[in-house]
Amino acid sequence: MEIKTSQGIHKSKGGLIRSFVATENGRIKEISISGDFFLFPEEAFFKIAGELKGIEAKREDIEHKIEEIYIRENIQSPGTSPADFTESIMKALGV
Amino acid sequence: MEEWRFIDFGLVDIRDMMAMDEAILKSDEGNTFFFWTPKKSIILGFFQKAEVELDLSQCKDYTITRRISGGGIAFSDDRCRQVNYGVVGTIDNALFPMDITGSYKQICGVLIDTLIHYKLNAAFRPINDVVVDNKKISGNAQTRWEGKLLQNGTLLLDFDIEEMLRISNIPKEKFMDKKIASVREGLTWLDRELGEQRDMEEIKNVMKKKFEERFSIRLKSGSLSGKETKLTEILLPKYYSDEWVYR
Repeated sequence: MEIKTSQGIHKSKGGLIRSFVATENGRIKEISISGDFFLFPEEAFFKIAGELKGIEAKREDIEHKIEEIYIRENIQSPGTSPADFTESIMKALGV
Repeated sequence: MEEWRFIDFGLVDIRDMMAMDEAILKSDEGNTFFFWTPKKSIILGFFQKAEVELDLSQCKDYTITRRISGGGIAFSDDRCRQVNYGVVGTIDNALFPMDITGSYKQICGVLIDTLIHYKLNAAFRPINDVVVDNKKISGNAQTRWEGKLLQNGTLLLDFDIEEMLRISNIPKEKFMDKKIASVREGLTWLDRELGEQRDMEEIKNVMKKKFEERFSIRLKSGSLSGKETKLTEILLPKYYSDEWVYR
């Protein structure tokens, strides 16, 4: 079983997104996202990392999940999109 | 003419200030404009991590807390030459637009009008910066709660770049001169732009006047209400706690 953690940094128009991701057997095991972006409502942000745990570490799956959370939680993040969070996570995955 | 409340908190401990900030947003005392100047401190944005952003071994004599709005670190050195402001307003689509960038632009207009008063080439840079000749002079952060907005921001009068880089979590030995030069190109402060130190009270008075003009209201000096003071006391432990700051 291989576990690896690395940092991915992506700059969106709304700020810098830093991701630390650990995967196990192709799935996200641990994930932490931080940065100087803006996102409303703020508390909904924690759902992103929370719900990405356990899903396949693939771009489409990750972006789809984040988009789903955006719609459900009515998230607004000026200058930062689900694609930007995905990009930061993919960089952490070394893809 | 409509009157809004004005409070000048003076030189403050930012943990106390952030608790009062949240209490003003979450109470119901009407639209309010307020000033404060932070003592030596670091305020993390809501989504930042202390150990990722900061070299904590270099921050021992700083007060560190976190705010309820996003954005980047607000760093205050011991020169204490910053005018920080807060605005709490009801989102009405006229004075305070629903559109996030629109509402930033509206409030940042107060800073721009202030800088233009000093004959500087100030402009709004979306999403939330005010620049002079394309150099950032003011950072701003907004959050919303039950139909109201809270915007905090700073107008830099002086700024110690070297000290900011020292506490940042970046490799320090190499390229320090280059880093200082690059920050110097992207950031500026009023004392530098004017080539002299202006009295902070004078600057605050200009800002106050520009605020009144922009919103067509009169600011009336006041203080926290009993309800706000009580809520502040309830919120204080959070801003002093490691769980909140180092989460």
